[in-house]
Amino acid sequence: MKNARHVLNTGLKVALVTTVMGVAGQAAWAQDGKTITTVVKISGIPWFDRMETGVDLYAQEHPEMNISQVGPATADSAQQLQIIQDLIAKGTDALAVVPMDPTILEGLLKRAMDRGTIVVTHEADNQVNTMADVEAFDNAEYGAALNARLAECMGQEGKWTTFVGSLGSRTHMQWVGAGEENASQYPGMELVDANNESFDDANGTYEKAKEVLRKHPDIKGFQTSAGNDVLGVGRAIEEAGLTGKVCLVGTGLPNPSAAYLDSGAITAIGFWDPQKAGMAMNEVARILLDGGEITDGMDLGVEGYNAVSVRQGAGEGKLVVGNGMVIVDKDTYKERLF
Amino acid sequence: MVKRDANLLVLCALIVVLLGLGGAVSGGTYLSMFNLQSMATQVPEIGLLAIGVMLAMCAGSGGIDLSGIANANMAGVASGIFALSLFDAYQSPMLFTVTFAVGCMIVGLMGGILNGIIIARFGITPILGTLGTQMLFTGLAVVLSDGRSVTIGAPDPLYALGNGLIFGVPTSFLIFILIGIVLALVLRFTPYGLRLMLTGANPKAAIYSGFPSGRIITTTYAISGLLAGIAGVIIAARNVNVKWDYGTSYLLVAILIAVMAGVRPEGGYGRVVNVVLSAVVLQLLSSLLNFIGLSNFVRDLAWGALLLCFLAVARFDLINQVMVFRPSRRIPHATK
Repeated sequence: MKNARHVLNTGLKVALVTTVMGVAGQAAWAQDGKTITTVVKISGIPWFDRMETGVDLYAQEHPEMNISQVGPATADSAQQLQIIQDLIAKGTDALAVVPMDPTILEGLLKRAMDRGTIVVTHEADNQVNTMADVEAFDNAEYGAALNARLAECMGQEGKWTTFVGSLGSRTHMQWVGAGEENASQYPGMELVDANNESFDDANGTYEKAKEVLRKHPDIKGFQTSAGNDVLGVGRAIEEAGLTGKVCLVGTGLPNPSAAYLDSGAITAIGFWDPQKAGMAMNEVARILLDGGEITDGMDLGVEGYNAVSVRQGAGEGKLVVGNGMVIVDKDTYKERLF
Repeated sequence: MVKRDANLLVLCALIVVLLGLGGAVSGGTYLSMFNLQSMATQVPEIGLLAIGVMLAMCAGSGGIDLSGIANANMAGVASGIFALSLFDAYQSPMLFTVTFAVGCMIVGLMGGILNGIIIARFGITPILGTLGTQMLFTGLAVVLSDGRSVTIGAPDPLYALGNGLIFGVPTSFLIFILIGIVLALVLRFTPYGLRLMLTGANPKAAIYSGFPSGRIITTTYAISGLLAGIAGVIIAARNVNVKWDYGTSYLLVAILIAVMAGVRPEGGYGRVVNVVLSAVVLQLLSSLLNFIGLSNFVRDLAWGALLLCFLAVARFDLINQVMVFRPSRRIPHATK
């Protein structure tokens, strides 16, 4: 008796799961339009949740197409690879990928393009096998803009220093390099102990920033690069009672930085909005799907991508650079809280 | 006398159900030749690592191999750098491919032997020993490659290995199946296979019976390492590039596959055919979920549920109860 009931129970559960899957599947195949799927590095983190709001927005604007975002549950390039491979097999018309590791995807993306799938990437200007790589901004311009904001706060004079995630991080080095170049036009600005490595660790950055503050009691400014650097340096400035006396401008996200922005320990943060980047990627994919071409100065209809600059990419594809940098301070960060 | 293999039955049933379900919800695309091939090319790398885990588990005394994927990456990176320094991948493609593949297998084998020595000679608990070598292998791969990915390139023979088809079946999948058959035969018909299972079932008795336990365990971990090396070749062939941090999630997935296959974690029992089928089931399931477009967190949930189901099947002997089969003696035996 007991066994029979067991079997019945199991049978019921299997039936239930099957139905649920069936319904979900029907929903996924309900629309007939072209499919654009955005594949992010990892799902469920604030950055890519923000990107998903952009993808959803784009989907609303284009109800005739199947537009969605997926991503692996763990930060592993092998998992992202599998998702993309399955999407290609499923017959997805266009892929908008934010590669976890561009090199690992090269082989697969090449096979995808050979098969006629449209491939667009983001945050991967070294990706060879892509039709278009969308970048939010020119790295040199971004670094210079951060430094200009810092110089403004410092009154164009005094000692300042820079932080990078690691010396091997190409973009970070480009940002601080452009910053130094910008600062060289102000003779009063003196760069000291440049390129401190933070390893994107707020605590480590905090310790390092304290050392810098002790060594240079008269330091006036910090320009930081990795996402958590502003938090570490901001805490060091606040604890040293130097809020308002030392300027801090760096890459960061509004939500985590909010408290320090309010207190004034962080002067301003710079970033690009993943929401807009997601929309821009999808728009590029749509244009390519329709057989169009991405041309220099084109308007993608997304804020920050109204006049993109198009260059030759790492491979045969194009590098599409927007002007999507955002620099916000105490008064403006609430407009883009994420 | 005949005891039904519950896991084998459930796995076969699951494959049929998943294929049917996939075909139904995707309107046939899931069953298209292209997707079947695509799924088959994804199985070998994780499948080979899972067989390695199975062998380690069979050896008993808490046997496990956590160093699989790290070993595979190290093999790919080290052999890649070596082969690239000798040959140009596109000038002499065949020579390059053979050097690279053999190099991978040698590095993998040496990694496995190191595991075996640490466990058998020094008596270190496998979970700790292989955790240590996992970090060592990863570290070596980072140092050798400066933390960057190594471009192996796609010379024709290597490309064919990872992406080619033979009679419509992906080459890498055929290699995987071939290795599975060979290992199954070895475990079933050679003295080594029998001794491995007996050692796993009762290490103490094995020692008193005069089995060369140390050699058996070292051989087992060496085979596991060799499989990791072959996985390294396949990874490189598929992805063009190899990197030290590829497949960090494979570690637990490989163990999941082995446990789903009914390999006894205490040692002494495991069938290669089940591990192969189990790897296939996991692939069918994750591809199906990707087809439906469900979040990848659902996949973790589904995998977890599946694992619990299999544990229940094994614990309560469900299949045999349902079949009203008379219980038979539980003897450790090596079978295909």
